Amino acid sequence: MAARKGKRSAAKARATPSRSAKARTKKPRASKRAAAPSSAPPVQVARIAKGKKPLYFSDPAIDKLLWMTLTLMEELSVTRDRLDAVERLLDRKRVLRRADVEGYVPDPKAQLERNARRGAYVDRMMRAAQAEIAETTASGNSKVDDEALAAVSS
Amino acid sequence: MQDFKQHAMLPATTHDEQARQDFVGAFRGHLSGRLMPGTYQVFASRVEPAFKAKHGRAPADQEEVRKVMTQDSFYQFWSAMQRRSQEMLWESVIDPTERQLPELIERARKLSRKNRGTLRLDPELEIPRYHRAADIHLQPGGYHTDFTADDVAAGVVYDKGINLYMGGALGAENDLTGNTLLAYLREKHPDFKPKRILDVGCAIGNSTLVWARAFPKAKVHGIDVGAPVLRYAHARAAALGVDVDFSQQNGEHTDFPDGAFDLVLSHITLHETSRSALPRILGECRRLLRPGGLMLHLEIPRGRTPMEKFMHNWEAYNNNETFARFMTDIDLVAESVKGGFAAADVQIDQFAPKLDVSQMNYTEHFFWKILAGWKR
Repeated sequence: MAARKGKRSAAKARATPSRSAKARTKKPRASKRAAAPSSAPPVQVARIAKGKKPLYFSDPAIDKLLWMTLTLMEELSVTRDRLDAVERLLDRKRVLRRADVEGYVPDPKAQLERNARRGAYVDRMMRAAQAEIAETTASGNSKVDDEALAAVSS
Repeated sequence: MQDFKQHAMLPATTHDEQARQDFVGAFRGHLSGRLMPGTYQVFASRVEPAFKAKHGRAPADQEEVRKVMTQDSFYQFWSAMQRRSQEMLWESVIDPTERQLPELIERARKLSRKNRGTLRLDPELEIPRYHRAADIHLQPGGYHTDFTADDVAAGVVYDKGINLYMGGALGAENDLTGNTLLAYLREKHPDFKPKRILDVGCAIGNSTLVWARAFPKAKVHGIDVGAPVLRYAHARAAALGVDVDFSQQNGEHTDFPDGAFDLVLSHITLHETSRSALPRILGECRRLLRPGGLMLHLEIPRGRTPMEKFMHNWEAYNNNETFARFMTDIDLVAESVKGGFAAADVQIDQFAPKLDVSQMNYTEHFFWKILAGWKR
């Protein structure tokens, strides 16, 4: 979090104008999109608000998981929008038609590769649940570390 | 819904920055329009019946509702998501602001020179504790933090942020509250033509400009404690072609002379202050009015039933509107009397806005509360 300043911040800040604040860049039109950011910003603005953060669930881990889930939901929405933009631009530039994407049927080799990738993705996502089943077998995680302890204790 | 007006002080957005803001808008619309009504349903269908079974009566006040509702799984989930949506809202606006901050500051400097109104900042002004202790609405840094010299970030972030907050309901220039209070004045006192107007706690001047446009011959002042929002307000006014004077002052004690104004206003500001500040602000309003002058404060509703009161106070407990917790029980007429007004000269009115359910975060009905006081 960027440094928070007290009541005299404006005076101090004015006495030492930062180089970045003076830097001039070409003025973009507000209605146009700017280029994507390429480096760290010259001034950092805080991202966390001061004040008590309530706990919503009985376990703080659930609060954190919901935070992460909603952020993932946001980024998936952003990615779908971006994919949509790419498809529409390719269509406009006549590189491909959007109908080509809708009608795309993978050939057998591509289908196998896609199936493998999708399967691996599902496995990775579901490992959290699989791990609990694995606890019942000797090869997986276990609730106790007796065996591991014994292995190093003698 | 009107599109948000792209004036010169708003930052440009990359594809993904815009997509994030679009997501936040869609997500919050869903939370308000689809999920929030469910909190009333679970209250009626399981929370209140369980309370009645145990106590033989319904919850008597919002505190009793709070105890049981915060244990309800649906409420917990909605509430946690509403909180996260508020944090995401600010993040989505801070990203493009931070990225372009040096040029936004430069743009503000140039535009400010075009505003024929003055901009007076007071680096010595003590920022009230009720701003410093917690960042209001979870906006990181609040209204008052300068992250660099001549900073305008808090203003930029607030302008686009409140547009997303209300799902665009605040209008193309975030001027709904100003327009609402103006409509009230025109309806109740059509012959009142103020020549000197003060907007207390004006932030980015979004409501202030409404009054400058409605009364073009009037001298209009906006005051706030936050320097970055005032720099932004001054530049934004110029970008929108309106001349307004802005100064950094605490509404509890300003440097304007007695009787300096015909009309003193605030727009959803009082509930962001404090128990001790509130009567002082009302007293200062009275001091600043000429005899025959009018004070108008627009406030948000606080609910009718214990459950509605509990829901209206969601922001008080989850969105750093800490003083709002007390506003449910505060009598604004009595506070005005503490400020020197005669009780007979003060009244509270309700005024209905035109909002759809996806723009109302905590209830499906909504009335603005208006505190009006005359100085005799």
